[in-house]
Amino acid sequence: MAVKRNEKILRPEPLPGRFMFLLVCICLGFVSLVARAAYIQVIEPDRLRYEGDLRSIRVAQDRVQRGNITDRNGVELAVSVPVHTIWADPKVVHDRGGYEDTRRWQAMADVLNTTPEQLLSKVENPERRFVYLERMITPAVANYIRDLRIPGVGLKEESRRFYPGGEITAHVVGITNIDAEGLDGVESVYNELLTGTPGQRRYRKDGQGRLIEELEITASEQPQNLTLSIDQRIQSVAYRELAKAVRYHQASSGSVVVVDVQTGEVLAMVNNPSYNPNNRTGVQAHQMRNRAITDSFEPGSTVKPLVILGALASGSVTADSVLNTSPGWMRVGGRRVQDARNYGELDLSGVLAHSSNVGTSQLALDLELEDFLDLYSMAGFGSDTGINMLGESMGMFQHRNRWSDFEVAALSYGYGISVTTLQLAQMYAILGNGGNRQPLSILKLEEPHQGRQVFSREISRQVLELMEAVTGEDATGSRARVSGYRVAGKTGTTRKAVAGGYGDEYVGLFAGVLPASRPRVAIAVMINEPAGDSYHGGTVAAPVFSAIAEETMRILNVAPDNLNGRELRVAGFGGAQ
Amino acid sequence: MQTTEERQRHPWLAKLHIDGPLFLGLIALCCVSLFVIYSAGGQDLGLVQRQVIRMGISFGVLFIVAQIAPDTFRTYAVPVYIVGVLMLVAVMFFGVSGKGAQRWLDIGVTRIQPSEIMKLAVPIMLAWYCARNPVPIRFLHVLGGLLLVLAPTLLIARQPDLGTSVLVASSGIFALFLAGMSWRLVFTGAITLGASLPVFWFFLLREYQRQRVLTFLNPESDPLGAGYHIIQSKIAIGSGGFDGKGWLQGTQSQLEFLPERHTDFIFSVFSEEFGFVGVVALLALYGFVIFRGMLLSIRAQSNFQRILGGSVTLTFFIYVLVNIGMVSGVLPVVGVPLPLISYGGTSMVTMMAGFGIIMGIATHRRLAISQST
Repeated sequence: MAVKRNEKILRPEPLPGRFMFLLVCICLGFVSLVARAAYIQVIEPDRLRYEGDLRSIRVAQDRVQRGNITDRNGVELAVSVPVHTIWADPKVVHDRGGYEDTRRWQAMADVLNTTPEQLLSKVENPERRFVYLERMITPAVANYIRDLRIPGVGLKEESRRFYPGGEITAHVVGITNIDAEGLDGVESVYNELLTGTPGQRRYRKDGQGRLIEELEITASEQPQNLTLSIDQRIQSVAYRELAKAVRYHQASSGSVVVVDVQTGEVLAMVNNPSYNPNNRTGVQAHQMRNRAITDSFEPGSTVKPLVILGALASGSVTADSVLNTSPGWMRVGGRRVQDARNYGELDLSGVLAHSSNVGTSQLALDLELEDFLDLYSMAGFGSDTGINMLGESMGMFQHRNRWSDFEVAALSYGYGISVTTLQLAQMYAILGNGGNRQPLSILKLEEPHQGRQVFSREISRQVLELMEAVTGEDATGSRARVSGYRVAGKTGTTRKAVAGGYGDEYVGLFAGVLPASRPRVAIAVMINEPAGDSYHGGTVAAPVFSAIAEETMRILNVAPDNLNGRELRVAGFGGAQ
Repeated sequence: MQTTEERQRHPWLAKLHIDGPLFLGLIALCCVSLFVIYSAGGQDLGLVQRQVIRMGISFGVLFIVAQIAPDTFRTYAVPVYIVGVLMLVAVMFFGVSGKGAQRWLDIGVTRIQPSEIMKLAVPIMLAWYCARNPVPIRFLHVLGGLLLVLAPTLLIARQPDLGTSVLVASSGIFALFLAGMSWRLVFTGAITLGASLPVFWFFLLREYQRQRVLTFLNPESDPLGAGYHIIQSKIAIGSGGFDGKGWLQGTQSQLEFLPERHTDFIFSVFSEEFGFVGVVALLALYGFVIFRGMLLSIRAQSNFQRILGGSVTLTFFIYVLVNIGMVSGVLPVVGVPLPLISYGGTSMVTMMAGFGIIMGIATHRRLAISQST
C-alpha cells in the first residue's frame, strides 16, 4: 500500500480529473453565456429595441400660428398674438440654488400679481421636472422675467387668441381653449383649417441630447385664414339694436340674422345676451349659446306669406281675390280659430296686413294637404340650412300623413311647428330671391352656390308685393318701415308653449326683405319673452328690424326704391355748379 | 507525440518560446478589440493608436516572460508575494485615491497598482505552496492556502476594488482546487458559503449594499438610478438582434446611453453591432484560447507548473464570465473589464504576462525533460 501511494504521488500527471471537471465547468459557463445572449438577442430583442427607441427617438413639432378669422371685408374677428408662458424645472431650481435670491422671486411675484410663497409652493417638489408658473403673459412681462435670470425658470412662446369683435361676434366666431384648440363657433368647426398640420420631425437623439439622425420629416400644412360672410358693420348695428331692444323690453333674450338674399351668405348673426370672449371669467353657459341657430320657437304669423304663396300657386285664388273673414272667427274641427277682431272682407294683402288667422286658415284648408306641407319643407323648415355650424337645430316639423283640419289651420298661422331664427331668415331669403333656395353660408363665397328653385319666381314676386302692405299705415308692421325703401315683411307674435299648453310668455317676431322691388337682404328679428307692457312682434321686433335695415341699406349702398316723388339728392362732388 | 510534431513543424516558434495556436488566438482577440474600440470610442483613431501601443507593450511583456523558465517563478514566489502584500498594506495607508477608491501607490517615478501584481503573485504563490507538499493537498494545508488567498483578497476588497478581489480570490481557490482539495471540503465550503448568505444579508450588509443587490436582481425597479447601466446595456445587446446592426451602426452604444462603453461595457457595443452571431463567434474565440491554455497546463511537466498554468487560465475565464455576465444582467456589476477587448492597459499587461507564463510552461518543458534525462 505504501509503495502504491508513493507511486501515485510521483506520477507526473496527477489529478487529470480536476482539470476535466473544470473543463466541463468552463463549457457550462460558455453555454450559459450563449444562452443568455440568445435570450436577450433572439427572444427578447423587440421589447429591448422598443425600449431603446423610447430612449432615443424624439418627435418635434413646428409651432404654427393659428390662422386669423376676418369678416368679409378683412376686419379681424379673431387674431393670434404671441404671448409667453413661464415654466419652471423644480429639480434644476433645487440643484442650482434657485431659491437663494428671494428678491428675484419677490420681483417675479410682483409682476405676476401673486406672492413669492405661491410661486415657490409650485416648485417645492424637486422630483417634478416641469410646472407652469403662469401662462399667457405679455412680452413686456416676459422680458422682465427673462432678465431676472432665476435658475430653472424658463419662458416658452405661445400664442393667445384675441377677439377684437368682443361680444358682438362671440357666438359666431366662438372661442379656443388655452392650448389653442377651437371649442365653439367657427373656431371649432374649422379648427383643422385654422390650425393647419404642424410639421413633424422624428429623429434620434443621443444620451447628451444631440441630434444623430433624422428619421422622418412631415411637412407642415400652413394654417389658413378664414374669411367669414359676416359684415362686421352690419353685425355691430344688429347687435347694438338688438341689445337695446332686449334691455328696453326686459326680454330674456333675442336674436337677429341678416342674410344676403342673392347668395345665402349670412351678413350678421347676433344674440343677446352675449359674453366677452377675451375675458371669460364668470361667463355662464346660457350666455354662450348661439341662440339664432340653437333655439327654436313657433314662428307664428311670420309663416303666413307661405300660405298666400301656396294659395296663389294652386290657382285657388288670384292676387285680387277677396276673402270673407267675418265674423272674425271660425270653427274648425270643433275648435276656434280667432282673429284679433272682425276684419270683414279682406283681400290677400289685407290678410297679411292684419294678420288674419281666419283668412290663412281658409286658404290652407282649400289646399291639398300634400301641397300645403310641401310649402314648409321647401322653405327649409325641419331641415338644416347648410350653414354648417356647431349645435344647429333643425327646429321641429313633423312628417306625418294624418293632420286634422284644426292642425292644418294652426299650421297656417305658425303653430305646431318650430323654427330657428336662422331658418326664418332663410325662408324670407327664399321669397326675396324669387323662390330660389340657397344654402346658407357663414363663409364668404367666391361664387354663389347654385340654388334650387323651390317656388315660382313670379308668384314669389306677387307675395312680396302683397307683403308690402304689412308695413303700410295702420298695419301690424308699420314700425318696420324704412325711409326711402319698400319693405316686404311680416310680424309674428306667438305664445310660448309650456308643459300642457301655452303659457303667458310671448315671442315677438319680425322678418322681412328689402328693398322690396329688388331685394338685397332678408332680416329676421326674434325677441324672446319680452316682459314689458308690449309683446307684439309689431312693437318689440319691428323697430329693431327698421333700425337694422336702414343702416344695412346705407352700409351696402343700396339705391332707394321708395322716394314718394321726392328727388334723390346726391351730395355734390367737385364743387357746385 | 503531438507536441514534438508541432515543435518540428515550427522550430523557430519553439525557440522563441511561443505557442502558435495560443498566440494566434490572442492576436485575433486583439484585432477584434481594435475594431470595437474604434466604434465604441466614437471613431477616434487616437484611442485606437494608444491601444495598439499598449498591445505592443503587452506582447513584449508576454514575449519576455515566456523566455523565463517556469521554475524561476518558484524561486521568487514567496518574496514577490510578501512584497505584494506589504505594498497592499502600504496602499491602505499611503495610497493615492482616484475615482473613489484608493488603489495606487506613488513611487515617485510612476504610480503602480499593487493589486495587479497580486493577480499573478497569488497564483504563483499558491502553486508553489501546493506543489511543496504532495498532492492531493491535505486539510491543514488547504486552511493555510486559504489564509494566503484571504489576506490579499480582503486588502484589495477594502480599497475598494471588488472586481480585482474576486479575480485574485478565484485564482487562489482554483489553485487549491487543482491541487486536489478534497471534494468533501469543496462541498462543505460551498454549503457554508450558501448558509452564511442570510447572515451576510441581515447582519453584515449595509442598507445601500442590500439596495444594490436588489437592484441587480430587478434592475427595472430603479431605471433612473442604479439599474440604469444594466438596463441600457441589455437594451444595447438586445437591439443587436440575431445578426447585429453592423459595425459602427450601433445606436444605443454610439449614442452615449451606455456607461463605460469602451471599457467595462464594451461587450454591449460589440453585441449591438455584431448580433448574436458575433457573440457566439467571440465566445468561441475565447473558448479556444481558454481550452488551449488548459491543454498546455495539463501537459505541464510539474505540479507547480500545472497548477500555475491552470490557475492563470481559469482566472482569464473568470474575467470573461464575470464581465459578460455583468453586462448582460446575470451577475452583479463589479468593475471587471472584458479581457483583451476592453480599452485599457494595466490589466492587459498582467494578462499577457500570465499567458507568457503559460507559453513558458509549454515551451520550456522539452528543455527541462531533455536536461533531466
